[in-house]
Amino acid sequence: MKTEHVLLRHRDHPEINELENYRKIGGFEVFRKVVTTMQPNEVIEVVKSSGLRGRGGAGFPTGLKWAFVDQKNWPHYVVANADESEPGTFKDREILEGNPFQFLEGVAIASYAVGARAAYVYLRGEFWQIAHQLDRRIQQLYHAGLLGERLFGTDYSLHIFTHLGAGAYICGEETAMLESIEGKLGQPRLRPPFPPSFGLFGKPTVVNNVETLTNVPLIIERGAEWYRSFGTEKSPGVKIFCLSGRVKRPGNYELPLGTPFRKLIYEYGGGILEDHPIKAIMAAGASSSLIVANDPALDTPMDYESVPSLGAQLGSASVIVVDDTVSIDWLINKTVHFFRHESCGKCTPCREGTFWMMHLTDRITAGKASWQDVELLKDVASQMRGKCFCALGEFSIEAVLSGIERFRGDFEARVKG
Amino acid sequence: MMLDDLARGLATTLKMMFEKPVTIQYPEEKRRVRTRFKGRHHLQRYENGLEKCIGCSLCAAACPADAIFVEAAENTDEERYSPGERYARVYEINMLRCIFCGYCQDACPTEAIVLGDNYELSFTDRRQAIYTKEMLLDPVPPGGQPTPQRTPSGVYTRSVPVMKDPSD
Amino acid sequence: MAKLVTLTIDGITVQVPPGTNVVDAAKKAGIDIPVFCYHPKMEPVGMCRMCLVEIGRPVVDRATGELVRADDGSVKIQFSPKLETACTTPVSEGMVVINTSQKVKDGREDILEFLLTSHPLDCPVCDKGGECPLQNLTMEFGSGQSRYIYDEKMHSAKHVPLGDLIYLDRERCIQCARCVRFQDQIVDDPVIGFYNRGRALEIVTYSEPGFDSIFSGNTTDICPVGALTTADFRFGARPWELNAAASICTQCPVGCNLTINVRREAISQGRMAIKRIMPRQNEWVNEIWICDKGRFGYHYVESEERLDQPLVRKDGKLTPVSWDEAINLVSMRFKQAGSNLLTLVSGRLSNEDLYNIRKLTDSLNGKSALYTQMGGGDVVAQVGMSTGSNLANLGKGDVILVIATDLHQEAPIWWLRVKQATERGAQLIVANARSTRLDRYAKYPIRYAYGEQNNLIAALVQLIDPQKFVDAKAIKHLSEQSIIKDTAEALKAAQNLVIFFGNEGSGVADSQVLAQTCAILLATTNHAGKPNNGLIPVWQRANDQGAWDMGWRPPTDLSTSIKEANALYIVACDPAGDDPRLSLTPDFLVVQDLYLTPTAKLADVVLPALPFTEREGSLTSGERRVQRYYPAIPGRTGALADFAIAAQIAKACGITLEERSAAKVMDAIARENADYAAISYTELANVEEQWPIIGRADLYYGGTSYENKQGLGMQLQNAVQKGEPFQISLPELVEQSGEGLLAVPITRLYDRGNTLIPSQLLRTHLVSTVMWINAKEAKQQGVEEHDVVQIECGETSALVTVELEDAVPDGVVLVPRSVGIPISEPCRVRLHITERV
Repeated sequence: MKTEHVLLRHRDHPEINELENYRKIGGFEVFRKVVTTMQPNEVIEVVKSSGLRGRGGAGFPTGLKWAFVDQKNWPHYVVANADESEPGTFKDREILEGNPFQFLEGVAIASYAVGARAAYVYLRGEFWQIAHQLDRRIQQLYHAGLLGERLFGTDYSLHIFTHLGAGAYICGEETAMLESIEGKLGQPRLRPPFPPSFGLFGKPTVVNNVETLTNVPLIIERGAEWYRSFGTEKSPGVKIFCLSGRVKRPGNYELPLGTPFRKLIYEYGGGILEDHPIKAIMAAGASSSLIVANDPALDTPMDYESVPSLGAQLGSASVIVVDDTVSIDWLINKTVHFFRHESCGKCTPCREGTFWMMHLTDRITAGKASWQDVELLKDVASQMRGKCFCALGEFSIEAVLSGIERFRGDFEARVKG
Repeated sequence: MMLDDLARGLATTLKMMFEKPVTIQYPEEKRRVRTRFKGRHHLQRYENGLEKCIGCSLCAAACPADAIFVEAAENTDEERYSPGERYARVYEINMLRCIFCGYCQDACPTEAIVLGDNYELSFTDRRQAIYTKEMLLDPVPPGGQPTPQRTPSGVYTRSVPVMKDPSD
Repeated sequence: MAKLVTLTIDGITVQVPPGTNVVDAAKKAGIDIPVFCYHPKMEPVGMCRMCLVEIGRPVVDRATGELVRADDGSVKIQFSPKLETACTTPVSEGMVVINTSQKVKDGREDILEFLLTSHPLDCPVCDKGGECPLQNLTMEFGSGQSRYIYDEKMHSAKHVPLGDLIYLDRERCIQCARCVRFQDQIVDDPVIGFYNRGRALEIVTYSEPGFDSIFSGNTTDICPVGALTTADFRFGARPWELNAAASICTQCPVGCNLTINVRREAISQGRMAIKRIMPRQNEWVNEIWICDKGRFGYHYVESEERLDQPLVRKDGKLTPVSWDEAINLVSMRFKQAGSNLLTLVSGRLSNEDLYNIRKLTDSLNGKSALYTQMGGGDVVAQVGMSTGSNLANLGKGDVILVIATDLHQEAPIWWLRVKQATERGAQLIVANARSTRLDRYAKYPIRYAYGEQNNLIAALVQLIDPQKFVDAKAIKHLSEQSIIKDTAEALKAAQNLVIFFGNEGSGVADSQVLAQTCAILLATTNHAGKPNNGLIPVWQRANDQGAWDMGWRPPTDLSTSIKEANALYIVACDPAGDDPRLSLTPDFLVVQDLYLTPTAKLADVVLPALPFTEREGSLTSGERRVQRYYPAIPGRTGALADFAIAAQIAKACGITLEERSAAKVMDAIARENADYAAISYTELANVEEQWPIIGRADLYYGGTSYENKQGLGMQLQNAVQKGEPFQISLPELVEQSGEGLLAVPITRLYDRGNTLIPSQLLRTHLVSTVMWINAKEAKQQGVEEHDVVQIECGETSALVTVELEDAVPDGVVLVPRSVGIPISEPCRVRLHITERV
């Protein structure tokens, strides 16, 4: 167990959301070192060696993504994904409010590494207050000579802009986010081509999650080996786990990857409210398969390789805990409502399927359905699998299918006859 | 012997004399038609007087004899003939072409065109064979209004009624 | 040529160019993959998920780069665990596509089931029924039962007017985005778009008036369901009840190929009526598109006002008479007039009409005149577009020059083809006195003062070949401008050069000179005579080129020619209506037309003619493609085709001309006119398979445009291509002068000509009697917007309403043609305010 935070450093150092305090603990020294003494590809190599993987849910190796940027097409862009809309996820918000400068430094280093001279921070519309504060902080960086033209006497310039969304979860999908920044309808694009070849305004773009970028300054400062000292071999480093649901102490917990569920839920989270028996775990927010919370599951380490053995994904590590007071049909009704509301409507299976599933789950939870309707729900969800344009549709069915399969009793209790 | 056969035959004839004749003295007596008898067509109405026919031409398409001619037009709430957007402005059946197969009745999505019981359809001029919509349309049922009607907006928006479960 | 890619689809091997997507590759192999959102003329988006198929690719050993083979030597194929969308997948070497497996069929059934969940039960009342891709695919791949509860269906607005031409039914929409992408990608007019998200995703219009695009009708062809329908065809008929006739649009010189759908109508006692006009595929002319004017502007042929019997003036009144009486009277008076007969025709007539009328006039030693405001047709015969040309061939390395015309308003499909050429890399030069809608695609937008158009072209010629003009004083100021120098360089370097010229800012004489100078430019840059090079005239009428080819020429001075004539034979034009001050008082006036026009009202004899929908004929487009049209409905009794009327008059005069068969008239033309020697109605009816393959049983692929089975037409050779010597002399350069406000007539798409006014549907779109002026000039002239002003030109004047328009140059006012303002070429005017609002 480590004592000092890597990401949630505001819990160790007070008020480092003020620039002078952040600089006191060495803030932006790394950026200066990077710009004045390192080559972009050196930076990429360090990040590659650290094994840092995308913290937004996909888990793609960050260094590799940076290396894919098309060097023949200019200019390049970096876009920070602060659209945090997955239910049960609130880590990026804490970073943006508590440790924003480390995040901005991460953006700056990433920009240098991929040769971008402009970076965008895309914030969900509901974060408008955070966006205003971030604008103020960015201005402070300009005044301090840490952003702008010809930084540190070199010919590298960097500008950072914030951009607000307007209430769409789908804009957290990287290509939909790019469409949104371009002022178009927030619908995902065809891939290939991928953003590192054809991204914002048609130019090579790297899209990274806030948490991912916040890791970068300390990785550069303390080295890849240091980062690898946490976590597991294939999932190195630390992760902020957003614990919520029926636990005594919900909140953000920064822990090394590979920490077992049991530790997070019982040691840090204080266990289940009123000490009820635990029933299910949703490890990736609403986009999860429901994990049956038996002993083997609780002992499973939370990393990108081990969680799939439970028939689920770690995703963004938004761990929602469910106990026996929650009926699973009610739970999936909630997730299905969410996906129906957030579906962009571009592709047929998701647009029609989430709408249909919502009607079915509504009827099931209202006690007005028969077992045939549950079978129909399973059918509809299975029909959507493998056919959707983007991950929203594909993941919207996970809770439904795993719920019916692994918690059949809850549904049987609900249907008539 | 031969007389035996003759006797049997005559006995049959005699028996027939006392059996009730099946001959019906038409036209003074008329036999009731069977169910599903396919006679003269008529266009049905709903109880409120609106025509069921929505001018979709499915009957014309189904007709193997190309006997039906339909021209559709737009309903407005000020001048409404049928529920929904569309009604038949012209509806003609050429009774000389018609073979009374009932395919039009089967094809109709609103149970508008049905073949009724009337089989007394003779005429003396070819032109009288073209039955127009006025001739085919049912009279307004009691309690209903004649068409065109003036209807409140937003009420009669559906053309095709909810069909009953066919397995009923 | 790039190496072709070989792949196998359902066991059939096919070779296609790299970059082809799997749907198109399958089509080339004769296999249909169902699609909704994909359209062969647009970029694929992979939205509807209907084209999901199984795709397998050869396995390549990562280490060696070699193909992995099975024991029997065949290449190992790795199939993706998920189905892939065929439209977004480009072909690759050795790919294996499976279109008929159970997995694929189940996938299609699933997608259809999803689409039908909230799709309304509208088939009986929906106009698309019978030609609906959703219906057809549901029959082929859908499940027979619905598992969705009716009460849970989402309901949306139905019958929403997007403008007054197109209706949107939001419930039927399957959100395939074809309409939005058509407006955005193809015609660059994004006046419709998506609104909201998820199941509530719906089409809205952003323009006021709604769906304000002259190509809006095309979206109803490509919409795969009945969401977008035309107001014109609403509830008109079922597609299977319609008969189809091939025709050619007569509204502008592009010559778009049409299919006219007809059916008997009860309301007119069983008369055949035109129900709608649809595009017919011709990749050399209009691809599968037509503009709204051609699609909706046909109602004039059904107008009650049409003449249906000959009229002769008796006791001052026009009285109906028999054809015999009329013909006898006409022939007698024409013979009497002899060389004092003047025949005036317009380019609305077909080649056969123009030929017969010319022969008649010539045989009587009469004079012939073409009623037009634009010259240059004989120049086009020398350097027009030649055989083997297709605007679709123009791209990178080619240059297009558009001068003195507003293509968007005068020839919309050419505007579209030019725009698309620039998207393929062609360089566009747009020269006009004002900015027009084509400017945004132009590399070299050039402004000049009205009247300078010829000098501009001359300046370009001079820059390319300084020896050309001896006295270049008049063009010196032009040749010194850097944009003109750059343009000259581009013209020199062009692989192919196409020049569109019009008559905006000029009359007959000036446009004739402009044509000549443009021809010289083509010759100077060595582009004349080659395929995909040439001069394209933007005539005001459909067959002006045919008129010129048939030997008709505009008179030097129309009013003088009219005054000198004793007998006037006016066919298909309305000089008195266009210019009331024109004195039409010959001894004997015969008018042959469709309606009782103002000119006809002055006539001694009125002969009723048939419109193009009721007869056969051929037209020569501005690209010099001869195309034939077929009759769509039987001719109204009492009227005859123009060539037939001319032949009957001729017969009564003792001259033999073909009277009944337009094909035979064309044969006569072919015998006499060397350019048309190879043309015959049989040749004009030749067709070949076109790409993309549209209009067959798979309506979902390309939309409901009709397959062309009746004729693609024939492109004429130009003189230079035939090897004849270039015979155009250098015109004189004139310096522009003149003071005072210049009024220039311009052509608007929705004009008030006799062929549009009868259309109720387009009534609100028609241009009114306005005068366009820019704000600065208005202030200087002391007029304000909405003032009613008398515009005075010489001895004529007209009342117009002032409209402010930025694009109008200083010192100029623009007036629309065809609204009764008697200004047919630029003239100096004075303004008097009569009414201030």
